[in-house]
Amino acid sequence: MKDLILKADNLYFSYEGDKNHSLNGLSLEIERGKKIAFMGPNGSGKSTFFLCCNGILKPVSGSLCLDGEPYDYSRKGLLKLRQRVGIVFQDPDSQLFSASVYQEISFGILNLGVSEEEAAREVEEVIGRLEITPFRHKPTHALSGGQKKLVSIADILVMHPDIIILDEPAAALDPRHSEMVNKIVDKLTEKGITVMIATHDVDYAMGWADQVFLFKEGRVLAFGTPEEVFADRETLRETNLRQPAVLELFETLCRKGILSSQLKTPRRLEDLERYIRES
Amino acid sequence: MISIDRLCYNSNLRYVNAGEKFAFAVLSLCACVLSRSIPVSCFVLVIMGILSVWKGGIPFSCYMRYMGVPLVFLLLSSLAIIINFSGEPLDLFAFSVGGIYITGSRESLFYALNLILTALASVSCLYFLSFHTPMPDILSVLRRLRCPKLILELMLLIYRFIFVLFEVAHAIRVSQNSRLGNRNYRTSMKSFGAMASALLIRAMKKSDALYNAMEARCYNGDIRVLDENFPPRGKEIILIVVFEIILYGLVVIEML
Repeated sequence: MKDLILKADNLYFSYEGDKNHSLNGLSLEIERGKKIAFMGPNGSGKSTFFLCCNGILKPVSGSLCLDGEPYDYSRKGLLKLRQRVGIVFQDPDSQLFSASVYQEISFGILNLGVSEEEAAREVEEVIGRLEITPFRHKPTHALSGGQKKLVSIADILVMHPDIIILDEPAAALDPRHSEMVNKIVDKLTEKGITVMIATHDVDYAMGWADQVFLFKEGRVLAFGTPEEVFADRETLRETNLRQPAVLELFETLCRKGILSSQLKTPRRLEDLERYIRES
Repeated sequence: MISIDRLCYNSNLRYVNAGEKFAFAVLSLCACVLSRSIPVSCFVLVIMGILSVWKGGIPFSCYMRYMGVPLVFLLLSSLAIIINFSGEPLDLFAFSVGGIYITGSRESLFYALNLILTALASVSCLYFLSFHTPMPDILSVLRRLRCPKLILELMLLIYRFIFVLFEVAHAIRVSQNSRLGNRNYRTSMKSFGAMASALLIRAMKKSDALYNAMEARCYNGDIRVLDENFPPRGKEIILIVVFEIILYGLVVIEML
């Protein structure tokens, strides 16, 4: 029996004045504590689905369940839902509303109705944990892209969600900051938080994810472990993705007889390197 | 405005309790406006200047430049007070032009000087506040003074989005320049219009996205945030109190 945290069943959604459905009979199941990558071309419904998960958008038909209970769209229900499912938006500039880092991070937790002392403690804790201290006194408009991203992640973490959704977290980040974001994500999964990431980086998804969902035109085209999903070239082509480098290289090496195809499919380049060294 | 913002985030007095700075600036401002006397204004002007430059670390040239802006404006507008057109010459100076005199009196010169100094001293008080206190800190003082919530929330969002939209406008402008969008008057007028309309649309979209992002964090129509407080220091409070007592003493003497 799978331990499901989120379940979407046959979701339909279209934006006002748009004849096309942004979500077109989308169904999927997310297991608790897993690392999930969402991939697919722009406009394939990833962001729309995320907004549905958080209750910002309400699907026209179909149902969403959190922990087996259908979404409750009452005021109180939404409040509870949004505490448990947090979204880090793609563009930090449309998420950060305050010029002060401290104020910004305190917003979410104060909305949960905790006391100011407790909120202050939580904010301090998250500032320390994400290493925001060196720039905590800078105004948000003077922060670099990577620093803004860290603050926008802290915004959500301070609310202690069970599911955290990151919409293209590495977009417009330099390698050092995307490395930092990846480390934070790893720490989250260690704590048992379910992490859902939208990304275009197949190599990252291959190395990181437990499960990959490929979206196309508002529904799931394929899903499974990265090994399964990325082995299927036909589906990848349909979603404008290429194979991860490590997989391509591995297949070539197998074809040439350098490595045995009986080996477990490598996820990262380091794994492949080890195979070659040991062969 | 952007450069004032940069100054205040780098000021040495930034981490002084905002309430102290606010009280100091506002009380001194009231003293200037109440007394309208030259000695009081000069006193305030000098003290504010010394504090901003010496204690706050604002470069002197920079401070003078900022003081220069209202000064030019004040000098120009006080010309209207000093210069009179009259049938007979007044005591300070007089040129006859045709049948009438362009003339001025000692009294009006004195009055203009008084006005300029009062206004300049008041501006220096406000500068003191804005050079050393970031906007969020000023807002937290206003919140404690029970300023209406709606106004405070508007100020918070407007302040943040000035910078966001400024960045967008800058990016649009650069991209227009790179495509020769400003090569002559006609194209630059056209480009400016295009930028303004693009900016409006962008602002609408950003506000939508912001609203979504805030809702995603359980926003319920009421922006509640924690203020970062820098504790007030006894020594500073005593100094401020002493200064204000001297200042108001001076005001009373001047008004008697």
